[in-house]
Amino acid sequence: MTTTTAATASDAAREDHTPASAPSGRRRLAWRVGRWPAATGVVLGAAALPALAGPYVVGLASSAVVLALLAMSTQLLAVAGLPSFGQTAFLGVGAYTAVVLAASGITDGPVQLAASAATSAVAAVVTAPFVLRTRGVSFLMVTVMIQGLGYAIAVHWTGVTGGSDGRHTPPVTLGNGHPLTSTPGVYWYAITVLAVAAAATAVLLRSRLALIWRGHAGHEPRMTALGYRPTVNLGAAYVAAAVLAGIGGALTVAINTFVSPADLSFDVAAAAFAAAALGAALFGIPTMTGAMAATVAIVVVRDYFGSNGTGPLYFALLCLTVPYLRPAATGLRTWYTRRRQA
Amino acid sequence: MGSTSATVAVTGLGGLAYGLLLFVVAAGLKLILGVMKVMNLAHGASYLAGTWLAYLFADGTLTGLALALAAGLAAATVGGAGLAALLRPLAGHTEQAVVTLGLGGIIAWLFSRISGGSSLTVPRPGLLDGHLSFAGHGYPIYHLAFIAVAALIAVAMHQVLHRSMAGIALRAAIDDPPIAATLGLSATRIRIAAITVGTALAVGAGVLGAPVLGPAPGVDATVLTLSLIVVILGGAGTNIRALLIAALVVGMVNYVGAVVAPGLASFSLFLVVIAVLVVRRQGLRTAVAA
Repeated sequence: MTTTTAATASDAAREDHTPASAPSGRRRLAWRVGRWPAATGVVLGAAALPALAGPYVVGLASSAVVLALLAMSTQLLAVAGLPSFGQTAFLGVGAYTAVVLAASGITDGPVQLAASAATSAVAAVVTAPFVLRTRGVSFLMVTVMIQGLGYAIAVHWTGVTGGSDGRHTPPVTLGNGHPLTSTPGVYWYAITVLAVAAAATAVLLRSRLALIWRGHAGHEPRMTALGYRPTVNLGAAYVAAAVLAGIGGALTVAINTFVSPADLSFDVAAAAFAAAALGAALFGIPTMTGAMAATVAIVVVRDYFGSNGTGPLYFALLCLTVPYLRPAATGLRTWYTRRRQA
Repeated sequence: MGSTSATVAVTGLGGLAYGLLLFVVAAGLKLILGVMKVMNLAHGASYLAGTWLAYLFADGTLTGLALALAAGLAAATVGGAGLAALLRPLAGHTEQAVVTLGLGGIIAWLFSRISGGSSLTVPRPGLLDGHLSFAGHGYPIYHLAFIAVAALIAVAMHQVLHRSMAGIALRAAIDDPPIAATLGLSATRIRIAAITVGTALAVGAGVLGAPVLGPAPGVDATVLTLSLIVVILGGAGTNIRALLIAALVVGMVNYVGAVVAPGLASFSLFLVVIAVLVVRRQGLRTAVAA
């Protein structure tokens, strides 16, 4: 029984999520195998970054990890067909949870991460019934509103957040009680958390639940007719995405030993939304690899090349060009997979 | 006692001006959302562009204001048509939204480059400068004029939407695009008209509202969020009255809250949103289903 429904769900998912030009079986396999050396190179390069680059670049990479988690969070919802702009609100819940813990003397990094994940999950459970009444553009609208309200609350709830001035925290400690202060140390802590979160997300996206999400994204009436409950299933996606963002919040505190409403501002939400959107734009399918690549592109273009103040312009131009490159990207992919087969 | 009620009245007028400002911006956003089904993340930037034009042309005369308004409407026409052309080849909600994000980003970046990242004060035209006093409280004449103009815009919009052929065509295109198409209404033309008029409303609100809520970094995000809240609270369909009420509530809560209890303003707004969404159970789903 379960197998049958899962198979039907996968039909519903495949029907609407595979573009007409997608390569079939073996060609797709060739494309995937070709990615392994690249993935290994990226992981090794990321781990060795403090040896290869100066503290400025390493610090930049640490902040990119937070954006990567936000982008993953946004992309997870995109897989379920929900375009979200408001994951920064959950980043805020996570970040201020870590701040409150740090202020009461609990500086242990993993404990802060777990607590932030828990509170952002609770926040998602509470808001999900309202937010998940909407789909498509309405969902996007409501999440833009959530982003704005989250920012406004962070600015005005000065008792907890310190208002616009933000709050400083002591550095996080690891199990042995040593504070984490060196730039490479903080960076390795951040990419370890990112790697664990990415692995968990990868497992989640290969689960039956993800298949159901894709089914909902593809054809919700059919999924409902099959007996799937959208609010429960999509609610699970909403909570999982909030946990990713909440972990990003705890990492923000660990990296900067400081958090202010600027960490959940419109610009941050825009970068995360764009990372997920551009990561789906080239091939028309929301993928985590795409979101990660787009995150790196955004940080490199906006914060590294644009450090003299032109960064926001470069970011805007990236948003304005990438969505139009899909025909070229699809053509290039077809050419590449054909060549590998020949 | 009299002084207290005067304070309330003056604060209320401030909230009224703010609410009507949000109404004009939100009407533009709703028009674009309703017809194009596109979340225009550059809508706040359109407002910012309007306030900036008002700053550039401000010379203390009404002519300067009229010139700024004309420049704003011209820019909105070009910008709206350009945006329609940019969105045409894109299908997904996220891709369209990310392109509008890019456009808004360019405007915000230009503004921050020119203003040096600081807020600008737009002077009021000499004729409308000055204050009326209520029991010892001064109230700017410009704000009263703004309230009158915005109220006129609201009435005009209601009349156009419900009494003219153009309005009927627009409502048809929002409520049922396929049927509108079978009746011979050109979807393309209505889309371009909607996005141009929608942008013009935001830019125009920026030009006229600059002395009320002036050009400053971040004002684009604030206006976008608040006008979005108005659209969501305003509910489904082309209901100008509901949109107006929602705008006045948001304007009052935000403005009065900021004056009376600064710490509570955003919370009260949050509570209003939650309350409306809980009470009107269908509200959120139908908000933009139209």
